[in-house]
Amino acid sequence: MTTTQDRTPDAPAPDHLPGQRSTGGILLDLARNNVRQYGMLIALALIVLLFQIWTDGTLLLPSNVSNLVQQNSYILILAVGMMMVIVAGHIDLSVGSLVAFVGAIAAVMMVDYDLPWVVALVLSLVVGAVAGAWQGFWIAYVGIPSFIVTLAGMLLFRGATQIVLEGQSVAPFPQGFQQIAQGFIPEMGPYTQYHNPTLVLGLLAVVALLVQQIRGRRRQAAHDLTVLPFPLFVAKCVAMAAAVVVVALTLASYHGVPVVLLILCGLVLLLGYVMRNAVIGRHIYALGGNREAAKLSGVRDKRVTFLVFVNMGVLAALAGCVYAARLNAATPQAGLMFELEAIAAAFIGGASMRGGVGTVVGAVIGGLVLGVLNNGMSLLGIGTDVQQVIKGLVLLAAVGFDVWNKRRAATTT
Amino acid sequence: MRNRVGHGTRSVASTVTAALAAVALVAVLAACGQEARGGSRYEPEGGKGSTVGLAMPTKSSERWIADGRNMAEEFRKAGYKTDLQYGDDTVENQIAQIENMITKGHELLVVAAIDGSALTNVLQRAEDAGTRVIAYDRLIMGTEHVDGYASFDNERVGRLQGQYIVDALELEDRPNETFTIELFAGSPDDNNTRYFWNGAMSVLRPYLESGRLEVRSKQTRMNQATTLRWDGGTAQKRMDDLISRHYGTTRLDAVLSPYDGISIGVLSALKSAGYGGKNQPFPVVTGQDAELASIKSIVAGQQTQTVFKDTRELADQAVRMGDALLTGTKPEFNNTTDYDNGAKVVPAYLLDPVSIDESNVQLLVDEGYYKAGQIE
Repeated sequence: MTTTQDRTPDAPAPDHLPGQRSTGGILLDLARNNVRQYGMLIALALIVLLFQIWTDGTLLLPSNVSNLVQQNSYILILAVGMMMVIVAGHIDLSVGSLVAFVGAIAAVMMVDYDLPWVVALVLSLVVGAVAGAWQGFWIAYVGIPSFIVTLAGMLLFRGATQIVLEGQSVAPFPQGFQQIAQGFIPEMGPYTQYHNPTLVLGLLAVVALLVQQIRGRRRQAAHDLTVLPFPLFVAKCVAMAAAVVVVALTLASYHGVPVVLLILCGLVLLLGYVMRNAVIGRHIYALGGNREAAKLSGVRDKRVTFLVFVNMGVLAALAGCVYAARLNAATPQAGLMFELEAIAAAFIGGASMRGGVGTVVGAVIGGLVLGVLNNGMSLLGIGTDVQQVIKGLVLLAAVGFDVWNKRRAATTT
Repeated sequence: MRNRVGHGTRSVASTVTAALAAVALVAVLAACGQEARGGSRYEPEGGKGSTVGLAMPTKSSERWIADGRNMAEEFRKAGYKTDLQYGDDTVENQIAQIENMITKGHELLVVAAIDGSALTNVLQRAEDAGTRVIAYDRLIMGTEHVDGYASFDNERVGRLQGQYIVDALELEDRPNETFTIELFAGSPDDNNTRYFWNGAMSVLRPYLESGRLEVRSKQTRMNQATTLRWDGGTAQKRMDDLISRHYGTTRLDAVLSPYDGISIGVLSALKSAGYGGKNQPFPVVTGQDAELASIKSIVAGQQTQTVFKDTRELADQAVRMGDALLTGTKPEFNNTTDYDNGAKVVPAYLLDPVSIDESNVQLLVDEGYYKAGQIE
């Protein structure tokens, strides 16, 4: 911050003429506009640092980073979908039950009917889409509030799970299916102390990141938009690249990139792009921000709402398969409270109760905050009773900070 | 670039700082690799002084709290460090806890499984990390990576419950009378459930078949009688429904309950249906684990019986087994044939349970399991 000193706290925000802004002003604006997300990113870094110290460095051991990814994968998948539902101004309480239901269906298909696991996986995702469409229909076209429809879904799918499984766990699954949650991409090439394909993937990710950053900057400059000063831009790129390299090296010290991390990255990239750039994504924000205005501007609100729930259904089905694969068993108690974990992740990651606000990356950050808390506290041997208390307080603090921040912004401008 | 030039120097400074920090971070982490601590080829050392991970199911049942405490104490006395964790009866919590214990390099895990069939993958990891595993009280299914099983003779627990009902109703001495009974089983995903059930039914079945004992609900198969997660509330609901449907005019004489938590739920349902008064005494209700609430209930003349499994002895046994595994001596087993988990026959050490009712409840005090003041 180089220019904050020459403005009193109550001074109006700096002028918004493009290209004439000071470094500090740009940074300040960036921070203002993304306060929740940056705040949570900083909070995440702090939490990681704290637990890294408290656990004598166990938290960031390669094997534990790998655990972190696998332990939280299904919640992160749900959180991404939940973020989109919340942005659209709805809520979905049924995802935990749907996770259990799809896991059960997948298990019965593979164990009792001996279907190949790929077929079972695809059919499971279809079941998720149908379940999502069922709920989307009642919400979008009949107009029953999502809270009620998904509350009904929560009971419906939980009961259906118990019927399908007859109250018992069904196991085991084919090796290939287990790899969805448990597997790593296979090692290739000579022994180098590191997992070679992971190093290559890390390198590719760095290149892709840099190309995307540079192109983005060029495009912004071409449209006369404000860009970060060049040295800062370099710093940002170096920091991001370093983060990728660190993660890649860490994972490469263990068994390599978990399969589920690839799935997760794919989802975040795809849905992140959809929400930022695609028409439907912008319509979701428009709907959540102001339903009437969006309708008047030609957003097909029913169709958009319907699709948001279909998407959530598919993601819940994916999470259900990942969860079942991780346990190598489908259990009637699967997915209990997952809906609340996903909702908490979305809110910690910057969603607003009123809709229209939130990003896919934010949901992942929120999910990671909860995940690192879980993992770190478990490493320290803190009981699940105390863990729940702490997670509750974190949720309250995160959303409270946001409310406080908005109020302050409203009074100062 | 359109930014103002004047701030260039400071920004350059921050760039350099950031870049340096990043490089430093990379350098630190690059020092690890697969053979370093936490890497996939890292091999921890074992023996005395290493840490034992104790993965228990839930703090919602005093039985498990006592088990965990006893075992932690005994392992410490034997010269080990312990890491005791409770999984809140949630499968994925327990799996994450076990993974984290493996990450922390624990040499031995004692696992009382929440869902015995959901641990195959995580125990594969234990095997890869060279961690030994003891199944505690509940058998872990479908995996070769279980080194031993410490438990009570669970079928005998069931037989004690069944025999108690036969004796209490005097079925042998009163050959012309018939009695009504309802049956409860444990959680369907717990392997022990069927041992309890089979044990009890081996005693009761002849009387059910001859009609001396009548199950008016006709729910006589185990999967009709199971109680998910051994939950007392679930059992209470089922008992409520059974009473209102089948025992409006007929008296219920006995309830086979496999566990004290279920018995307490069953007794609540019976109370709200009017049992426990002068004209309508409680039926015979069995139980298991000698939980304090049930012992008080037995002393107050409500629950009839429970099966006492001295969990301190079980903890001792698990500690002896664990100590042997960690020091490379041969653990003692007394059953190497019966406990097949689907992947291998797990060598087991089984302890004998004791039936407790009003007449011998003092035993618990004499054994030092409870203090005299606690049970009155």
